[in-house]
Amino acid sequence: MSNMAGKRSVWRTDWRLYTLLLPGLIFVAIFTFYPIGKMLAMSFFDWRIGYRQTSEFVGLENYSQVLADPIALRALVNTLMYAVVTVPLQMALGLIVALLINGITKFSVTFRLAYYFPVITSWVVVALLFRYIFSNQGLLNYFLADVLHVVGEPVGWLSSRVPALVVAMFLGIWKGIGWNMVIFLAALQAVPKEYYEASSIDGLNGRQQFFRITLPSIRGTLLFALVMLCIGAFNTYTPIAVLTGGNPAHQTEMVLTWMYFQTFNVTGKMGYSAALSIIITLIITSITVILFRTLARKGE
Amino acid sequence: MRRRRRIKPFMAVRYALLILGLVVTVIPMFYMVISSLKSNKSTFSYPPQLFPNPHEITLENYVYIFRHVSFLKYLGNTLFTALMTVLLSAVISSVLAYSFARFKFPGKSLFYGMIISVMLIPGLAMIIPQFEMAVRFGMVNHLWGVILFYSAWVTPFSTFLLKGYIEDNIPRELDEAIYMDGGSIYSVYLFVIMPMASPAIAAISILNYLFPFEELGWSQTILKSDEIRTLPVAITMFFQAHNRTDWGYVFAMTSLSMVPVVLFYLALQKYFISGLSSGSIKG
Repeated sequence: MSNMAGKRSVWRTDWRLYTLLLPGLIFVAIFTFYPIGKMLAMSFFDWRIGYRQTSEFVGLENYSQVLADPIALRALVNTLMYAVVTVPLQMALGLIVALLINGITKFSVTFRLAYYFPVITSWVVVALLFRYIFSNQGLLNYFLADVLHVVGEPVGWLSSRVPALVVAMFLGIWKGIGWNMVIFLAALQAVPKEYYEASSIDGLNGRQQFFRITLPSIRGTLLFALVMLCIGAFNTYTPIAVLTGGNPAHQTEMVLTWMYFQTFNVTGKMGYSAALSIIITLIITSITVILFRTLARKGE
Repeated sequence: MRRRRRIKPFMAVRYALLILGLVVTVIPMFYMVISSLKSNKSTFSYPPQLFPNPHEITLENYVYIFRHVSFLKYLGNTLFTALMTVLLSAVISSVLAYSFARFKFPGKSLFYGMIISVMLIPGLAMIIPQFEMAVRFGMVNHLWGVILFYSAWVTPFSTFLLKGYIEDNIPRELDEAIYMDGGSIYSVYLFVIMPMASPAIAAISILNYLFPFEELGWSQTILKSDEIRTLPVAITMFFQAHNRTDWGYVFAMTSLSMVPVVLFYLALQKYFISGLSSGSIKG
């Protein structure tokens, strides 16, 4: 009887479902599925958008151009370095702040609110701010040279590759701690108190509790943060665009800033940029799949 | 008694560390506001001052911004873009999330998988075909050229969060009750899903509201003429047009641009927290 009612209701709502589903699906299809497919196609052509220009099929030519391009490879290395440094540090610092806030009794809401503040600030705003603070005559050099006397001359933070990347990483970590803190804090608060009480009776100390109870309990959240932050790291555009513009001499390009430059500042590089986009997508997808395969299964 | 004494120093260390971290977190923002209150000339004098003399404090940068820059216009553009993005993505993602959470239909897992994989692709990575589309549809130099694409970029994540929320927090019995009363799936959507999922919808809306306040790559591509720029583009263009040195004016603009964001954050802070965590705990 209930089975029949269930079937009937599914049948009855059938056509109505499509009136809900299709508009949304069509919207997403037009604005994301279609461009992705188009991009894949473009990556195999010497793509021209000018009047009466024809695009020639070139096979994997664009891909080999990207992979033979030292600047593209450097941009890729920069992005990977950015991910490898900022993702774990953001997570570790966010977790430490979350543990500290979870352990206090007063003002915990105030701290949470204040630590989250950099997250809501605009990337453009904070990147400009960091550009000012890290400029040659900026606040940081002033402290290092004239207050602490640890450097003799002002450091050209933004004028060579590694220091500029360090500034970008510092910015990414500074801005990301709050996000990690908030989701880790929520996860910590969802761990049943009984676990800790039981383990105290069993004689576990604070460190053992952390590794045997806390970390395993928030494993799902850690994986979520890891995946989202890796995707985010490959999404880095604004901080570099504002801090250095990829300069000096394309030393500090991220994959997206380099792709943007190739698309809009160089003519006839559409196919190249499309191939670069596809490569970025493939890398992010593989990282995500690998993370899920290696980390998610253990928890089940 | 003894126990209390042992715990207290721990607490003090916790507070001390938290305050130390907070100083590092807040100092840059404090410095920005302070610099916006110094005269534009003194913002590139050396040595820089974190705490200037009180008599050096001036509002001249703000006066300049309101006299010479159409700041309110940019703010209006940004607010309009943000609100339309929020509305569009809330409607689209809630409808999609409801469909995926509650019904079986052919191709369901394929379509859901496709939507979720869009999350993996940076919005800017699709810029070439999207720009071609924008040109063909005449959306270059229109705010809608930004709004429609922003909505499409944020919809996958919003759908993902909402679908999880509907599955975990809204009992199917409520749907059944509506069907018993002769209601259709539209009634379920309007009278069960929308009200019950409102905390999650609020959470995604907050994230989507903030997006136009910081996105630069796409907006600077589409919004070419001055009078339709959003704040990130306007601030960046102003910075470049002023030889990248007029920091007093720039910081007056950035500080002002933070006002609507901060007010919004303080007013809706409890949804920020609840919404962010609802999607993440499950993993």
